[in-house]
Amino acid sequence: MQKFKVTFMPDNKSVLAEKDRTILSAAISAGVYVNSVCGGDGVCGRCKVILKKGQVSTQPNGIITAEERKHNIYLSCLTNIHSDLEVEIPESSRLSFDSLTPSQVGERLGSLYSKAEDIQPVNAKFKEGLFKHSPFATKLYLELPTPTLDDNAGDLERIYRALRQLGDFPVIQTGLFNIRQLGELLRDSEWKVTVTLGKRNDTVEIVLVEPGDTTDKNFGFCFDVGTTTISGQLVDLNSKKILGTKATYNQQATFGNDVITRIVYAGQSDGLERLHEAVCNTMNQIIRELILEHNIDLNDVNCVVCSGNTTMIHLLLSVDPAHIRKDPYVPTANFLPVLRAAEAGISINPRGLLSCVPGVSSYVGGDTTAGVLSSGIYQKDELCILIDIGTNGEIVLGNKDFLVACAASAGPAFEGSGVTSGMRASNGAIQKISIDKTGFEVKYSSIGDKKPKGICGSGYIDLLSSMLEAGIIDKGGKIKAAGRRIRQTDTGKEFVVCFKEETDISSDIVINEADIENLKRSKAAIYSATAILVKHLGLCFTQISRIFIAGGFGTYLDIEKAVKIGLLPDLGLAKFSFIGNSALAGASQILLSNQAMTMANNIASRITYFELSVDPGYMDEYSQALFFPHTDLTKFPTVKF
Amino acid sequence: METQLVLEKWAGAIYTLSIGANKEEGGSRGNTVKIGGESSLPLLFKEGNIPNLPAVAFEVWDTPPQDWDEGLVCAYGDVLHDPFAWADKCVREFKAKLLCVRMQGSHPDYGNKGPQEAAKFISTLLSKVNVPLIIIGCGDDAKDNLILPACSEAAKAERCLIGCAIQDNYKTLVASVLADGHNIIAESPIDINIAKQLNILISDMGLSLERIVINPTIGALGYGLEYAYSIMERARLAALSGDKTLASPFICFTGQEAWRTKEAKSGPDHGVIWEVITATSLIQSGADLLVMRHPKAAEKVLAYINTLFKK
Repeated sequence: MQKFKVTFMPDNKSVLAEKDRTILSAAISAGVYVNSVCGGDGVCGRCKVILKKGQVSTQPNGIITAEERKHNIYLSCLTNIHSDLEVEIPESSRLSFDSLTPSQVGERLGSLYSKAEDIQPVNAKFKEGLFKHSPFATKLYLELPTPTLDDNAGDLERIYRALRQLGDFPVIQTGLFNIRQLGELLRDSEWKVTVTLGKRNDTVEIVLVEPGDTTDKNFGFCFDVGTTTISGQLVDLNSKKILGTKATYNQQATFGNDVITRIVYAGQSDGLERLHEAVCNTMNQIIRELILEHNIDLNDVNCVVCSGNTTMIHLLLSVDPAHIRKDPYVPTANFLPVLRAAEAGISINPRGLLSCVPGVSSYVGGDTTAGVLSSGIYQKDELCILIDIGTNGEIVLGNKDFLVACAASAGPAFEGSGVTSGMRASNGAIQKISIDKTGFEVKYSSIGDKKPKGICGSGYIDLLSSMLEAGIIDKGGKIKAAGRRIRQTDTGKEFVVCFKEETDISSDIVINEADIENLKRSKAAIYSATAILVKHLGLCFTQISRIFIAGGFGTYLDIEKAVKIGLLPDLGLAKFSFIGNSALAGASQILLSNQAMTMANNIASRITYFELSVDPGYMDEYSQALFFPHTDLTKFPTVKF
Repeated sequence: METQLVLEKWAGAIYTLSIGANKEEGGSRGNTVKIGGESSLPLLFKEGNIPNLPAVAFEVWDTPPQDWDEGLVCAYGDVLHDPFAWADKCVREFKAKLLCVRMQGSHPDYGNKGPQEAAKFISTLLSKVNVPLIIIGCGDDAKDNLILPACSEAAKAERCLIGCAIQDNYKTLVASVLADGHNIIAESPIDINIAKQLNILISDMGLSLERIVINPTIGALGYGLEYAYSIMERARLAALSGDKTLASPFICFTGQEAWRTKEAKSGPDHGVIWEVITATSLIQSGADLLVMRHPKAAEKVLAYINTLFKK
């Protein structure tokens, strides 16, 4: 296959591209970002480029004016490469996040902006082979018979025929974009092409036809789009291998910490657009870093599966979330059709697909569905609870017969946000802490055994429990002891976990009384929501057989200590399993198996949503839980300080 | 056919607490006052034991009150200017069995007396009257942390009831009360959970739950009385159902609250009526100890108690 060198200005980046590839596709391979809202359908007109040198062929369209044509302006998605090229990408066609200078980024995102960091996903114990391997996007290499006078089927029909010989595809769709390319592409590639098939609801779509055999390069991303943290995973769709996982704070955090403030912000002028841009930037940043690290061509990333709470999904798709916060709290959509990722602003292969895990209601989203899927509680005989500890905590109770869910606004404290020395569960985060009862000396270990930079959620759980045990704080959360690690500040007392010299940052790592108050409210929200849900169904905790704990806690969570501080009910350690980020795990299952996707739809329609705010007992439960472990000590019989 | 009453059976009971120590107990009081001990809601004698009547304490200040209403000033006359004479009048003339002395003179805005002066005042008072004492700080946290330990020490072994400990400031007072053998008042802002939390925090320091009296904070008639009433009732129901952390008797500052209302000052005897109604209502929600101001109101309330609680 003939290849040509295409150089993009002003980046001065070059790439070798097969003849008849589009300029847009070459730009993506070169890592040059070009706007493309329609995903290469040739309708949005955002991907205009200026041809400086070389030969191309282009298709007629109503977008490029005669005046523009005179100046060699082309739509990069409809223009095919016929020789070595030099192409200039005008400012207006660049993806906006590239146009931000580092100082603008700093200004807009303040300290919240941070590089995506590698995280170690918890190895959830999934039943291997539970779902058949049938990824969201599949690549098939076809060697088509050359047409003859006897075999004169059309080019597209020829592909369909070859596909139907390989498998049972009842309905196949193809975009006009692909059909327009087909005639020349098939002949130039000597009838040897790779077809990327995507599952689009109940049909199969030919996402892309490429020359030659590229079946060994088929990648996808799954995301957990959280209110505070966004985690993404790069998956090899052929080998099912997870190549890398990264997490970073959702850049939307500059517009408010919880979903309600963000919904309010979305209602302001440009608000929705900014929130949308922030979440896309964050996701694209993760995508970009992972593909660069693994040396993968963005064109070979063909699909994305997102799990996220309902508000996050609305914002990702630029759908106004206003009605989520208004009585009777109805979202625009819980079940979203498969879309083109580019339509949402996610930069993968411009024809690539995006699927959002279906949600249940305004406050129980696709992340919960994905969690139920990955924890497997939907097929258990015994009663189970799934508690997802996040900014929007979700609790699901049920088994194979029924599933009921509720949401608890817990705040971002356990995700390491909104607390003085908080950080995500990434390298350098303190996750295990013990404190000596006499001298209050602190022993800790950090993720990656690095010098500590801060404390993550599981570290805070250890810390609170150890401080209670050592008598540094009272059960109300006030610092009562004195010693070299305890200091009085303008805003109350603080306890020094690590002095500056031991850390990787230029200040002490501390916890103060306001942090403790924040953590206390978070744990009270989770515990009381769980208690109310159990009570509402006429059950008691002792009837629950299994409890799955999910959340972005890194690889470690001390359940016993989480019980000691009253975050989790006191039911004996044997009943608990920590399953890590279950939303991400569920999304990766969906990415790899169409069966899992069908199951997710099934689960989402089975879950009954229970609105906590209408339960008169909720406030009582909540205020009773604002204590370590709880004001009703009989609920925590094994906890003694 | 006789109607069968449906009777509630309670699992718990309120702790009995006694205020004041006589000679045999190592103190110097002529009498002691027992409160609490009930194992039923007020006046429901068939459902449990009600061994002690609600008690009334007369409020006395260590400094002449500056803004008391005419109705109160007339009732006491000149003695308001001499705390010892005032206390003596309460005991001799109004037959007070219990005094509640407020150390208002230590407040930075009302004389700012120091801990030594406060301690001396308590010692003198103890020598002049022989009824048990409730000692209340001036309400300024920092100042109370200085004077209350001094008062507590001055009254050592007299088994006083000292307050008020609050959620953000209880440690100093608990330590003194523990050291000097008194009882403590735990104050919470009309909030059953904070009441409970504070009781747990205090007992965590080693002062047993049996030595705590809850001040639930009340409002007078027309000023949130029903709110206080329902909080007290909820706490009492929890205690009788077996929650030991709420099984403490209640102290209610009815005089202070009733005389703050504008209605109390709107005509002759209005204040007395307001104080009586506030006090008698709260007795029905479980009040064990009422701190009152007007002698006539106290008399009426005592008469009410003696009538209704006669089994």
